[in-house]
Amino acid sequence: MTDPTRDLLPEGLEDRLPKGAAAAARIERAALETMDGWGYDCVRPPLIEFEKSMAERMDGIATRRMFRFVDPRSLRTLALRSDITVQVGRIAATGLADQPRPLRLCYAGQVARIAGEQLDPRREHLQLGAELIGSDTAAAAAEIVELAIATLEAMGARGISVDFTLPDLVDTLATEEFPLEPAQVPAVRRELDAKDAGALKDAGGEAYLPLLYAAGPFEQAVEKLSAIDARGVLASRIDGLRQIARQVGGRARLTLDPSERHGFQYQSWFGFTIYAEGVRGALGRGGTYRIGGSDEPATGFSLFPEELVEAAAANEPPRDALFLPLGHDRDAAARLRAEGWRTVAALGEADDAAALGCSHTLQGGKPARL
Amino acid sequence: MRAAMSEPLTFAVPKGRILDEALPVMARAGLVPESAFHDKGNRSLSFACERSDMRIIRVRAFDVATFVAFGAAQAGIVGSDVIEEFDFSELYAPVDLDIGHCRLSVAVPQDASAGQASKASHIRVATKYPNITHRWFEQQGVQAECIKLNGAMELAPSLGLAGQIVDLVSSGRTLKDNGLVETGTIMQVSARLIVNRAALKTDPRVAALVETFRALTAQEAA
Repeated sequence: MTDPTRDLLPEGLEDRLPKGAAAAARIERAALETMDGWGYDCVRPPLIEFEKSMAERMDGIATRRMFRFVDPRSLRTLALRSDITVQVGRIAATGLADQPRPLRLCYAGQVARIAGEQLDPRREHLQLGAELIGSDTAAAAAEIVELAIATLEAMGARGISVDFTLPDLVDTLATEEFPLEPAQVPAVRRELDAKDAGALKDAGGEAYLPLLYAAGPFEQAVEKLSAIDARGVLASRIDGLRQIARQVGGRARLTLDPSERHGFQYQSWFGFTIYAEGVRGALGRGGTYRIGGSDEPATGFSLFPEELVEAAAANEPPRDALFLPLGHDRDAAARLRAEGWRTVAALGEADDAAALGCSHTLQGGKPARL
Repeated sequence: MRAAMSEPLTFAVPKGRILDEALPVMARAGLVPESAFHDKGNRSLSFACERSDMRIIRVRAFDVATFVAFGAAQAGIVGSDVIEEFDFSELYAPVDLDIGHCRLSVAVPQDASAGQASKASHIRVATKYPNITHRWFEQQGVQAECIKLNGAMELAPSLGLAGQIVDLVSSGRTLKDNGLVETGTIMQVSARLIVNRAALKTDPRVAALVETFRALTAQEAA
């Protein structure tokens, strides 16, 4: 008797079977080729690092989401990466510190979280992204948004929609335009994030109410935002948004939600979220930030394409394969492989071409359709 | 999987308490379900709507939040108790519909309320809202062990299942009939329009729906 529970995978983890693995590999390759084409060099950081070095470059609380354990060699705490962005930040601050700026780097790899989320129990993700290090100007942000769209298009996403936000908006406004006590800021932020008008008033953020309504299609929303910004505190940010929108307009549907802060804990003046048709939830996000430790400005994006991979895997077309019967012409087989054929060689009399998923068989040195 | 504009929007409404009050508000927003919706003998769960680009599903209140959070429904109506219990990051609650008012309260048996058992650092509470309950007691410095029940919470204290209950209270009649008294209010509850975050960002019809409900409640308030 075999025990069916013996080979269970832990919750939130799965095997990618041939179709899924093929889709994932194709999508990852398409993304890396696109980013490479835009002049972004690929880097491959390790799976495991010292926790302290990663924690320094991410929001403190996020380290709780990592698998952590003690290194038997150094006796220091190690962590399994949950976000490759911080590793790229470390590389830029150390190994590539002397490279000329702006430095363009991209990456792709698996990341793990210690716990899944309510809506996404997955604990392992493919993360892909690019970082433009040394600049956080509107020009840098426009390049990153445009590259994120191009990368997603290459990965097969359709109906792409980009939502812009201003992550440090409340901090900026709270200092002079709509003054708030420091103690009030977290509550005002939380209610803006939940878009709860009633609770926002109760939290003392009545002046911030118009921000809730300055959300929607980019052109209208940015007009409303300019109208709120009577004294021009946000003028440079609004100009920046317009510059980015001009550069990427037409490639994607653009929306603006100035008070959105979900997933933008460490970004500075600009952030964006990317959605695609037929994919539940966000595919990725990005923005401007400062690398922890070195405080160097940077702009980048990360994509988590699991849903895209699943959709692609379901529609993965069957591939041709050439069956090589026992005693086949080995030279012909080698020649056909060089031409790009996938071959499946018989090992015994019982091997059946159709059962092994072959579309063709080798006959007289040529492929013949089954 | 939803191809953006071609598919109808799905609007989720809860069975029970809130529904009777919600239907007139929905009607003013142009959401009128087909007549089968009101037919008690009809067992379907999904209904056409007078607006052809919309369908209405009727599910349990807790499931309204789940359907909308996952994007299986794009919008819906649910009490703020349910929103608070799940605390789903993918839910927006942009409009307070000012209907379905009640409160979420802690109650204990009449005879126990004098003895102040609530000073203990560890207690057992029967509730449909384990997350809210746990968080609320934690803030009072009390570790609450929650026993999740799906109804008839009021029975738990008398049968020795738990010393206290956390449940919705509107008139207080049910508590009284079962020999319980309220000792604290955790939150005031009212019904909210909820929408899926990604749907609001990517589908203009969802944003238009929010505008419609917002305008309606502004009219009501004026």
